Amino acid sequence: MESIYGEHRAELEEVMRRLLAYIEKVRGEMEETSGMDPVEHCLGRIKSEESMREKCRRKGLPESEESALSLIHDAIGIRVVCAFLDDVYAIRDYLSKLPHCETVEEKDYIRHAKPNGYRSYHMILRVDGKWYAEIQLRTISQDTWAALEHHLNYKKEINGNKDLIVKELKRCAEELASTDVSMQTIRDMMNQGHDTL
Amino acid sequence: MKLLLAEDTTDLNRVVTVMLEHAGFDVDSVVDGEEALTHILQNGYDGVILDIMMPKMDGLSVLTQMREKNIIVPVLLLTAKAEVDDRVAGLDAGADDYLPKPFAMKELLARVKAMTRRRTKYSTDYLTFADFSLNADTLALESENSVRLSLREFELLQIFVLNPEKELSTEFLLEHIWSAEPEADADTVWLYINYLRRKLTSIASAAGIPGERGGTYRLCREA
Repeated sequence: MESIYGEHRAELEEVMRRLLAYIEKVRGEMEETSGMDPVEHCLGRIKSEESMREKCRRKGLPESEESALSLIHDAIGIRVVCAFLDDVYAIRDYLSKLPHCETVEEKDYIRHAKPNGYRSYHMILRVDGKWYAEIQLRTISQDTWAALEHHLNYKKEINGNKDLIVKELKRCAEELASTDVSMQTIRDMMNQGHDTL
Repeated sequence: MKLLLAEDTTDLNRVVTVMLEHAGFDVDSVVDGEEALTHILQNGYDGVILDIMMPKMDGLSVLTQMREKNIIVPVLLLTAKAEVDDRVAGLDAGADDYLPKPFAMKELLARVKAMTRRRTKYSTDYLTFADFSLNADTLALESENSVRLSLREFELLQIFVLNPEKELSTEFLLEHIWSAEPEADADTVWLYINYLRRKLTSIASAAGIPGERGGTYRLCREA
């Protein structure tokens, strides 16, 4: 079967590599100025054939190159996991100013958490006017939470009371969110030095 | 110890006042419910004695309104009605004790003493201020988003909610929240104030706690 990305897979990979290189660059710059690497880790992937075809079907779109490259915006996916909350927003500011990239959509699920407790910053970038990439920015705690929540949704058989598990996961998200804020506050105080503490 | 006595029967009011003053209490006496509520809102008391049947506003309404305003002073109800339902209604509305009429003066005095020496505070498990709520059961701080506070953070924010828009000094907060931790100092308070400030922001609340390190802090509706 022909690829849903047609002849463009190599170009998608090239755009992804460019974006990852930009992120590497800003990591280096920020470490230079603040002495601290803002990014814990960073991953990129091209959405698999099967996932993309499944997403087309789910959205009622034809399984075509146009759907995969223009109508659906996460053929390229990048996840940036940061140490601190402010780093998430610093990387976001940097990405929004990249050359040849425009931000076509942004959702701040950190400021406005999803009802289940999910927290992350989502951006859709359009590179060179035609390639779309979804960037997810989040803290280590938020990433840890999302990993377990993902497991809950994809595990067919859940042992135990599902309502209770969902409620407890939300509680954990709220405790982690609180800790993220505390850690950021502590870092701010350390950076402000003798003026405050 | 300062008490408020609200009793509309003039003779009884006078006798009880004299007896309490003789026992060493500082007593404000009033003869109707409206006056009682005005006094409660304006002054701090260590205990309140409320007759249920009073002109202008009955004792239960006074009690309900003061509890809605998070006023946690202990309350003893005096009730001519000896029905179980009335006594239950009084306790449910937030009274700490009740005494059916007629009563012996020495029993009233003993109950007032017991009530005012009680150290455990009347507390609600759900407090609200401006656009946020604070749940004592779960330690959840909630507005548009919610976060879970640590116990210390909860206690600190609770004392602000119970004293809304009032300037609370660093010393007062150390004494009330960190009394068991002699090593806590102005920096500890300052750090916890900053935790609360950022957590209020993170739940998208407009409320704030202005103040400088080592000084006084006040919970206000808009940061």
